[in-house]
Amino acid sequence: MLDFTRVLAGPYATRILADFGAEVIKVQSRKTASGSELNNTGYFNTWNRGKLSITLDLSHPVGRELAIRLVDISDVVMENFTPRVMANWGLSYQSLQKVRPNLIMVSMSGMGQTGPWRDFAAFGPTIQALSGITFLTSFTPDYPLGLGYSYADHVAGLYAALAVLVALEHRDRTGEGQYVDLSEYEAMCTLLGPAIMDCELNHSPVVPRGSYPDYALAAPYGCYKCQGDDRWCVIAVFTDEEWQALRSVLGNPPWTDEARFSTAWQRREHIDNLNELLEQWTVQHSPEEVMDLLQGVGVAAGIVKNAREVAADPQLTARHFFATVTHPTLGETTFDSTPIRLERTPARFGRAAPLLGQDNRYVYQELLGIGDRELTELIEAGVIS
Amino acid sequence: MALAGLRVLDLADECASFCSKLLADLGAEVIKVEPPGGDKSRWQGPFWGNLSHPEKSLSFWYNNTSKLGITLNLESNEGQEIFRSLIDRTDVIVETFPPGYLDGLGLGYKTLCESNPGLIMASVTGFGQGGPYSKYKSCDIVASAMGGQMYVCGAPDTAPLKPYGQQAYYTASLFAAVGILMALRVRKHGGQGQHLDISLQEAVAATLEHVLVRYLYEGVVSGRQGSFHWNRSFCLLPCKDKYVVLSPLIEWETLVELLDSEGMASDLTEARWQDEEYRTRHLDHVVEVLQRWTKAHTSAELFELGQLMRLPWAPVASPEDVLVSPQLRARSFFVPVAHPEAKTGFSYAGAPYKFNRATWDIKRRAPLIGEHNIQIYHHELGYSREKIDELSSRNAI
Repeated sequence: MLDFTRVLAGPYATRILADFGAEVIKVQSRKTASGSELNNTGYFNTWNRGKLSITLDLSHPVGRELAIRLVDISDVVMENFTPRVMANWGLSYQSLQKVRPNLIMVSMSGMGQTGPWRDFAAFGPTIQALSGITFLTSFTPDYPLGLGYSYADHVAGLYAALAVLVALEHRDRTGEGQYVDLSEYEAMCTLLGPAIMDCELNHSPVVPRGSYPDYALAAPYGCYKCQGDDRWCVIAVFTDEEWQALRSVLGNPPWTDEARFSTAWQRREHIDNLNELLEQWTVQHSPEEVMDLLQGVGVAAGIVKNAREVAADPQLTARHFFATVTHPTLGETTFDSTPIRLERTPARFGRAAPLLGQDNRYVYQELLGIGDRELTELIEAGVIS
Repeated sequence: MALAGLRVLDLADECASFCSKLLADLGAEVIKVEPPGGDKSRWQGPFWGNLSHPEKSLSFWYNNTSKLGITLNLESNEGQEIFRSLIDRTDVIVETFPPGYLDGLGLGYKTLCESNPGLIMASVTGFGQGGPYSKYKSCDIVASAMGGQMYVCGAPDTAPLKPYGQQAYYTASLFAAVGILMALRVRKHGGQGQHLDISLQEAVAATLEHVLVRYLYEGVVSGRQGSFHWNRSFCLLPCKDKYVVLSPLIEWETLVELLDSEGMASDLTEARWQDEEYRTRHLDHVVEVLQRWTKAHTSAELFELGQLMRLPWAPVASPEDVLVSPQLRARSFFVPVAHPEAKTGFSYAGAPYKFNRATWDIKRRAPLIGEHNIQIYHHELGYSREKIDELSSRNAI
C-alpha cells in the first residue's frame, strides 16, 4: 500500500492493514513531518506502527514521477488530502489507472470528493458537529457538549480499511481495480441511522437526554456517583429478573417495593427518581464493589474507567490488549493492539512506527531499483528529502 | 457486487446486527436467523409511529437492510439439526451469544468447523471469549464506561456522559466486518476458516484518539473538558439560533480581524494574545469575548464565513439539519428503500464509500419475522410445506 495519508483517519485505516501484514509505505516529507506527523512522538508511534517511511517531495516534478513509479508497484493507494490535491499533482485515479490498470485507490476526505462543501476545512470535531452526534451528546439541547475527542477519525479509518478489503475481493474475482470516494461526514452519519430515521419518519425532533438508554426499555440505567473522588459506575437493568436481582443486592429496601417501580414500563416512566434513589446506594460503595456485586447476580454494571484504569484493566491485560515494542528513540513503547482477534492468523506487533525516511534505501533501491548515484542525486535535489 | 455469493448467517442481536448489514449491502447473501417470534432487537426503538411493534422498529430496519430472515429455535434438537444442515453452504456466522452458549448447544465453532473447515465465525461479546470478565453482562453504556470513553465525556462538574447512540455496537460491528474480510482472504490460501473474537470493551478502547496515548506516553490522565475539544483546539459557542464549533486557537489574526471588523474584539487585539500559549492559558476570556460575537450571528452565517476563510467551523447540527444537508443531498447519501407493507418507501442513511464499480446497494428492507422461511426451508432445504408447518407447531422454527 502506498500511503499518502496524514494525522489520524487515514493512518488508522492503513494501520489496521499493516497490523495484519500489509506492507504500508508511508510517504512523508521533511517539510510536512510536524505536529501529529512528527515521527518521534507517542501519537505517531501509536497510529503508524509497523509501517515503512519514505520521504518524497511531491511539489517537485521528479518527485511526482517517483510517485508514479511507486504506484506501479503498489496494489493500493490511500490518500486523505482535500479533493483536487492529488489531481493537481497529476496523481488522480484517472492518471494512475493508466500506470496500473488494476489499481485500487481510496480517497478519504472530510466531505467527499463532490458536493457544495467538498473543499470545506474539516477535522474530527467539525465532522462530529455536522453529523448530529455533538448535539445529541449532551444533557440538554440548550447546551451541547460533544465527545471531546476525534472519534469520527476512527470511524472513517475503519470504513476505509473495509473499503480496501472489499476492493481487493472485487479485484480477485474480476481483475479490476477500483476508486473509492469516502466521506468522513457520511461515515459519522451512518452511525446515527436510527436517530435520523426517527426524525424523518416520526416527524419529531430527536433531542439529547444525557446518558439515558436511547431507545431501549431499560431502568434503572445510567451513570451513578460512587465513593471516592470522581469515581463513577454504570448500571443497566433491562428485565424484571434483573430488577429483582438488583433489589436483592440492595437488601430489598422498601422503596424498591413501591408500585411505581414494579414493571419495566413504570420504571422507565420514573427513571429520574429511580436513578436518584439508586445513587444513594452507589455512593456508599466503590465502583469496583458495585460492579462485582451486580455482575455477581447477572446485572450489567461497570466501572467508569479513566485512562490509567483502562491501561491496568484486568480483562484487557489478560487478553494482552496492549502491545509493547522497542522504538529507536522512545525506547520501550506501549500501544493498544487491535480488537480484531483472528485466532489462526493474529495481528503482529513487531515494529514500532518508522523514523522519517527510515526505509528510503529499501523502497527506492530494492523495490524501485534506483542505483546509488541516482539516489544521491535525488537526495541532493531535495526530491527525496 | 463484490461480496456476491458469500453466505452469512446472522445470529446477532443489536450488538452486532450492523456487521452483517455492512456485508449484505455490499452484496453478501445474509440470512438473519431469529428465534421464533423474532429477535429481541425488534423491541428496541425508535418505532415508526412511536408505538413498539416488532415489525416497526427503525433501529431493526436500519441495522438489517438487504438481509433475508428465517426463524429457528436453536435450543431445540430439531432446530440444531436444521442449523447444521444450513452450515454446509455457509461461509460466515456472526453471533453475539454469551461465550460458551453455542458450545453448550453443540453449535460452537470447533464443532461446526469439523463439517465445514472453511467456516468463519465472528463472535461479538461484551468482553471477549475468555478472561476474568468474560462472563460479565454488557451493553452500550457498560462498554463505553469500561473502555475508557465515558470518563472523558461530559463536563468537569457533571457526571460522565455516554456518547449518543450505540457507538460500541457500531464500532465492534465495523471491526468484525474488517476481520471477516481478512479471514476470507486468508481462507483463499489453504481453505481454512477461523474464529474471530471481538470485544465491545476493546472496540471502545481502540477508538479513543489521544486518551490512551497521553497516558501511556506522558502519564497524563485525560479528564472531562465540557464542550472543549481535549486540547482546546475547538470549542462550542452559542449563536442566535443554535451552536457553532469554532477553532479559537488557530489562525488567530484572521479571527481577531473578523471580530474587530464588527467592533467586538475587545482586548483581544492586544499583542499578548498573539502568543498561543498565553491564549491557551486564558482561553476562558477568549471564549467570553468570542461568545458575545457569535451570539450576534446565526450558526449558518458563521459556518459560511468561517469556511470562506478556510477555518474548520461548523454548525452543531441536529438530525433535522442532517436530513436537509445540501452536501448529503448532492451526494445522494440518503437512499430510498421500499416498504411494500407500508405502501411507501423511506429514506435511509446510505454508505460513506462510493465505489466507482457498482459495489454497494440496499437491496431490500429488513426482513419480516420468518419472511423467508419458505424460501430457505422449502425451496432450498427441500422440506415440504407440511413439514414446515409441523416444525413450526413444535416451535422448532
